[in-house]
Amino acid sequence: MFFVFVFIWSFALFAGVTMVWLLAWAIRRGEFQNPREAAKMIFDEEEPIGRITDHFPGERS
Amino acid sequence: MIQNQIVQNPIPEALRPELEARIEVDTYSRPVIVLYWSTSLFWLTFATLAGLISSVKLHSPGFLGGMEWLTFGRIRPVHWDTAIYGFGGLAASGTLLWLQARLCQIRLPFRELLLVGCVIYNLGIAVGVVGILMGQSTGVETLEFPLYAIPFLVIPYVFIVIANFNMYWRKATKHTYVSQWYLMAVTVWFPILILSAEACTNFGAVDGVAQAIANWWYGHNVVGLFATPTGIAAAYYLIPKVIGKPIHSYHLSLLGFWSNAIFYNWAGTHHLTGGPLPAWTITLGVVGSLMMFIPVITIGINHHMTMLGSFHYLKTSPTLRFAVMGSMCYTLSSFQGSLEALRSHQEVTHFTHYTIGHVHFGMYGFFAPLMFAMMYYAMPRLTNQEWSSARLIRIHFWCTLVGMLLYVLAMCFAGIRQGLMMNDPSIPFLNIVKFTVPCLMLRTLAGLILLTGTIAFLINFSRMLTRHTFTYSTPTLFTSNRRWEDILEKERELTSKQILDGGQGA
Repeated sequence: MFFVFVFIWSFALFAGVTMVWLLAWAIRRGEFQNPREAAKMIFDEEEPIGRITDHFPGERS
Repeated sequence: MIQNQIVQNPIPEALRPELEARIEVDTYSRPVIVLYWSTSLFWLTFATLAGLISSVKLHSPGFLGGMEWLTFGRIRPVHWDTAIYGFGGLAASGTLLWLQARLCQIRLPFRELLLVGCVIYNLGIAVGVVGILMGQSTGVETLEFPLYAIPFLVIPYVFIVIANFNMYWRKATKHTYVSQWYLMAVTVWFPILILSAEACTNFGAVDGVAQAIANWWYGHNVVGLFATPTGIAAAYYLIPKVIGKPIHSYHLSLLGFWSNAIFYNWAGTHHLTGGPLPAWTITLGVVGSLMMFIPVITIGINHHMTMLGSFHYLKTSPTLRFAVMGSMCYTLSSFQGSLEALRSHQEVTHFTHYTIGHVHFGMYGFFAPLMFAMMYYAMPRLTNQEWSSARLIRIHFWCTLVGMLLYVLAMCFAGIRQGLMMNDPSIPFLNIVKFTVPCLMLRTLAGLILLTGTIAFLINFSRMLTRHTFTYSTPTLFTSNRRWEDILEKERELTSKQILDGGQGA
């Protein structure tokens, strides 16, 4: 039983520390600095803002 | 139906580098994602059939009564476990891997390992199902799979966690998209959830009331911290991408993510209201549930404001139909869930069919449509093929919507009436059971409608895998045909203009 508790707590601690470290890493990397740009990162010149990218098959207009 | 047509869709040279980069990412991840999604659909069909058998047994108890391996106590856990781990686990993992590879703009790593992992995971589900049908269920809700099936499920998930972190670590992009927050979080939350819950329940680290708390902490969080984040990640990618419009507010999306991360984990104990728990644990669950209004309202506003002015595309885009249905049901079912946690509400609805209605609202109204949306969007890009039939897509959509609504309304109505009648001690229990029978029959009808939709999707999906459809020379659905023609026409115009201006063209 003791080992199960040690497992749960050490695993939770490991995951928690990993997340805090990742958050610090993301802040250092500037992930939060320009959220507007982050919102646009799924678009590019080939699939720009304003282009519809899905249609029913055979019904494109 | 369309039969084996190969369509040339030339791409202007100027657009090639970005397109080719994306083609490389999609092509490389193809075998893995297709295997995860096709097996997820097998388990969806299996889960729906098991659910139908369970449903029929509730209004016709003699149905398949002679087979002990199909008794309600066995087939019902098989239904839920194959729905959440079989369909949910595989569809969500496929979504996670494809979306993360795309958003990081790198090739999917450890492809062979992930393929082997998928096979092991499917084997684990099959072993678990056989175990439950043989009567070896653990009896702990949502963790019914016998212990010998658990390593089959955990080890492949370790591969997915490693691949996910590897992709994020090596990503070629500067920013992190909001979907990636959810995808990263889910691979941290789920291993903690399942390992801690297994340790506390089936390994017996705690017992009695504490075991029940651990059980429902897990039971609630497996939906909220495993299925929900993947569904929201899909919605945050698909809605803006399909309508070509960035999300309304990136700040709101981050607020939604962090508030979801902080509050959801506390809500599980509301499942035990009225049970022999310390009052503060239930109050904690109620408060956690009500605090969930913050992420739900935030996410709801963000999706709605993004869609504002673009609702007419619901007519023309299958992906958008399912994605918007999923997002709307997320808001509605979450509101219902938060209110359901209140003690005054539970006095009526607890231990009734109402709870079952709510779970299906979340799983078949929110999560499943978003997974379908993801498949409708990604499969043509992965396989270079068009869906074979628009009619089958429409049948799938309407069956999903109508079947889900009928299910939820029938169960919620039955649950409220059942709860009110149970609170009146003068009403004999058998009368209450008889009252619910017509609603239970409606549920079976709803299940049949959902099954019809699933079969329509399966036909379309398998026609794509067997190449009984349009095959494009390059990935399809990147833009409309007319748009490509416009681009080519413009190129021709520019070329001739340059020739006329000084012979520099061509």
